[in-house]
Amino acid sequence: MTDKQLDVLVICGSLRKGSYNAALARTLPSLAPPGMTLRTAPAFAGLPVYNFDEHQAGGVHPIATAWADALRAADAVIIVSPEYNWSIPGGLKNAIDWASRMKDQPFAGKPVALQSAATGLLGGSRMQYHLRQSLTSIDALMFPKPEVIVAFAAKKFDEKTLELTDQPTRDMIKLQLEAFEKFVRRLAPRG
Amino acid sequence: MAAKALNVITVCGSLRKGSFNAMVQRALPPLAPEGMVLDAAPSFAAFPLYNADVQGATGFPGPVTALADAIRNADGVIIVTPEYNFSIPGGLKNAIDWVSRLPSQPFAGKPVALQSASPGPLGGARVQYDLRRAMVFLDAFVLNKPEIFIGSCASKFDEKTGELKDEATRNFIKQQLAAFAKFIAHVAAKN
Repeated sequence: MTDKQLDVLVICGSLRKGSYNAALARTLPSLAPPGMTLRTAPAFAGLPVYNFDEHQAGGVHPIATAWADALRAADAVIIVSPEYNWSIPGGLKNAIDWASRMKDQPFAGKPVALQSAATGLLGGSRMQYHLRQSLTSIDALMFPKPEVIVAFAAKKFDEKTLELTDQPTRDMIKLQLEAFEKFVRRLAPRG
Repeated sequence: MAAKALNVITVCGSLRKGSFNAMVQRALPPLAPEGMVLDAAPSFAAFPLYNADVQGATGFPGPVTALADAIRNADGVIIVTPEYNFSIPGGLKNAIDWVSRLPSQPFAGKPVALQSASPGPLGGARVQYDLRRAMVFLDAFVLNKPEIFIGSCASKFDEKTGELKDEATRNFIKQQLAAFAKFIAHVAAKN
């Protein structure tokens, strides 16, 4: 499968408007290789906390269904997320937990790349290693490297517009997205 | 310092009625050493997904402050949790994320013990090591050992009553709770 345009879903792990990770996600289309089209995932913000009893009684929540459908339709996924308390934000993990309980589980066999931005030194990397572990357990195909770990984010985004102004970071993202495209084409059975 | 009653709250990471971890939570009071009183913490089921904009606009939701107050007032916290997708259930992590944002963050300096039950063989080991990591950032004092990983848990509970009947598990828990009582006394701030 070489010539088909890749349809890649971008998921942001933060809900707030001024999020550096949301700003990072918005930058991606301008840095993506031509063979890759990026789409934003439906929001998971209103998804209730996973409760097996509610799932049994009421079926899959519609917000979870919309999220999972978008995942299934995509050739690959990029998750751009902050780190909360040295790990995965609970909201994002909750959406993943819902998806993991569905028939035709949407992460199975799905190529996934990770990115994170943080104001501190480690750039959200602890979250990324937990997320790798978690998504691997549900059979996602985790893209190994290059990693995109944006440290000291406050210095790298324009204060007003939140545009990613740091050139080395932009270059690193370009490299990752090019390599991710090759990875997806090598692995993906869709065609 | 004469021995005073230790008030310990227990937080269950699962919301479903038939949860094995909830059965463990209920099994704890008779296994506690003399002088330790155990109470279930207020639920996180109704917490919205963490969003800094919500926090900024309307403040901390009532259920969040209720849980935070219960943690602050307790001498120790026991978290009894399943493992979802090799890591922390999103709902529990979301609760931790909210509580972590409060001024006078309730986990700071708080003695914490961890327990997990799972139908699988590892008994929730992965979730506990991920939780330990979050607790380091939160500056909690997590009891190192004994560890409680209840693997292949289905056969360890009475099918009808949900009572924890496995004698070895009951003994391990007794040992951990006794060690936790000593640990709380050891690390308690001397006022």
